[in-house]
Amino acid sequence: MLGRRGALRFLALPPYVWLGLFFVLPLILIVAISFRPETGPINFDDPWAPTLVQYQRVWETESYLRLLGVSVLMALVVAGAATLLAYPVAYFLAFRARDRAVFYLVLLLIPFAASYLLKIMAWRLMLGQEGAINSFLQYIGLTAEPLDLLLYSRAAVIIALIYVWIPFAALPIYAAMQRINRGHQEAAADLGAGPWSRFWRITVPLSLPGALAAFFMVFIPTVGEYVTPSLVGGTEGFMYGNLIQDFFTSAANWAQGSALAVIMLVVTLVLVIVALRVVDVRRLSS
Amino acid sequence: MLARTHRLRVALATLATTALVLASCQGAEPQELLVLEWAGYEAEDFWTDFQTANPEVPVDFEFGTTDADILSLMQAGSQADIFHFYTGWQQFYVDEGLVREIDTSKLTNWDAVPADMQALGQIDGKQYFIPWDWGFSSILYNTEQIAEVTSWDALFNEEYAGHVSMWDDGPAAVTVSAYINGWDETAITDEQLAQIEEDWIAQKPLNLHYWDSEYENLCPEVTSGDIWVAYAWQGCYASALYEGAPVAYANPEEGRNSWVGLYGINADTDSYELALQFLDLKLAELTCGNAVTLFYYGCANEDVMAAVEDPVLIEAFGINDPSILETTNFTPPVTAEQRDAWTAMWTRVKAE
Repeated sequence: MLGRRGALRFLALPPYVWLGLFFVLPLILIVAISFRPETGPINFDDPWAPTLVQYQRVWETESYLRLLGVSVLMALVVAGAATLLAYPVAYFLAFRARDRAVFYLVLLLIPFAASYLLKIMAWRLMLGQEGAINSFLQYIGLTAEPLDLLLYSRAAVIIALIYVWIPFAALPIYAAMQRINRGHQEAAADLGAGPWSRFWRITVPLSLPGALAAFFMVFIPTVGEYVTPSLVGGTEGFMYGNLIQDFFTSAANWAQGSALAVIMLVVTLVLVIVALRVVDVRRLSS
Repeated sequence: MLARTHRLRVALATLATTALVLASCQGAEPQELLVLEWAGYEAEDFWTDFQTANPEVPVDFEFGTTDADILSLMQAGSQADIFHFYTGWQQFYVDEGLVREIDTSKLTNWDAVPADMQALGQIDGKQYFIPWDWGFSSILYNTEQIAEVTSWDALFNEEYAGHVSMWDDGPAAVTVSAYINGWDETAITDEQLAQIEEDWIAQKPLNLHYWDSEYENLCPEVTSGDIWVAYAWQGCYASALYEGAPVAYANPEEGRNSWVGLYGINADTDSYELALQFLDLKLAELTCGNAVTLFYYGCANEDVMAAVEDPVLIEAFGINDPSILETTNFTPPVTAEQRDAWTAMWTRVKAE
């Protein structure tokens, strides 16, 4: 008979095996491939002779490093905006929706049922020269001509990504708000705190861990995003993830693509660690 | 004793039957095909004769996005029985032992392929590849916005800013620059490549976007009038003509570019005979005709091309222009070093 601990270990085994096979092992392979000297895919029969030449090439190519910086900035903007916009949604669900919270939560999750590509293609229609946004701007007389910058631009990538991430970002914030003890609010109200004061001094600090989780949940994958820029970014919306994709496909240079991917991973991890050091979540929420 | 002998006989008979069944299984080819293709070529119209002849044979497709991608998938051990790529990349497959020689005596439609085209699939006198689709690359332009395009440098004309679209492909960018500068594209020097990179970086803001799928993000915007001048294949030209768009397909003074699509059979395939039949029937009149009339690609079956009567297709393929081939540059083979240098150059252009 398995004890309680044994049973837990047994139950935890499948996800560990799954993660090991399909996350950790590919990650190790990517790191290993990045130390190979040759271009093209990997022949495992080749002798293992690690080199830093791929990293050296990235280091010597200013445009790649600049693009990484631009992509990090774009991810910061997207994560910040998506978190801010998701916050009121989560607040409404946690404190105002009451009995209908589940219904609204389902509504929030409905966009996940639609294909990601379909949603981004819809944004092409929205942002196009004769799209809904340009037509509206012209209708209200704000612009005389369609704005070129809406589609095939960095702005288009940011707008589409914020839209895509809002429902994701709302979930951890909602979960954090659900955990807030309503007694705190009542006690504060009894002691004379107004709604605004209660929001700033109780709700915001206690929901910050959720908001930070939402921020990083959006920030981390957005740094390496490549589908949305391909569809709505044009020549100016190209991101670091597109560069990695190009090296794995168009350039057929897996070693260089792997080195770029490892650099992105390290930079993102460092940024997250630094951010978590600077923002002391426990102190904020206590 | 008798029972024991009987049991022994039964056991031996069972063993022999099993061995026979296993042996026959090993000898038989799997009755299924996997084709490494370009997105869009999986349409049943592109292999309709094979489907009619073998309705029970499942044909699956996996996709590559560029010639480099397809080569890398094959190098990585793709299980595809058949793969499709374009001129300039033949030697890599042969050098790396990725392709099996084609027994043309088993192809019933082989005689309909012109000798010049057959030769494109030969290396060291052996037929490794079957030519299938072909076409031109040139400048497609909007005649309401541009009176005439006479050179490839129209892609660099600042008057068309925001309405240009270049193909997202490094080797194509090098080819265009070589044409404009009068350089030999098979012998581009480091200095020339640096100049090419600078030129394309300067050209980048003129583009509405780089296109990567002809019928998804080039033709619709040519037809709508958002793109005025583009690097394009003749299929998009024909498509725009059918849509009634005001477009023309340039005959640049430097010459058009021409390309031919080739099919090869994976050296490790277990379905060689079936793959041969698939390729043979790709050349059959109905399938080849579909490529021409439905997708506006040229096809290697010359009987099919000779039967084209549609004026739009005649115009798109330059069928009535006797000088068209004299003014066309055929895609030369590239070396692995050139391929890597050109694609890396293009990623730097895009990253700027």
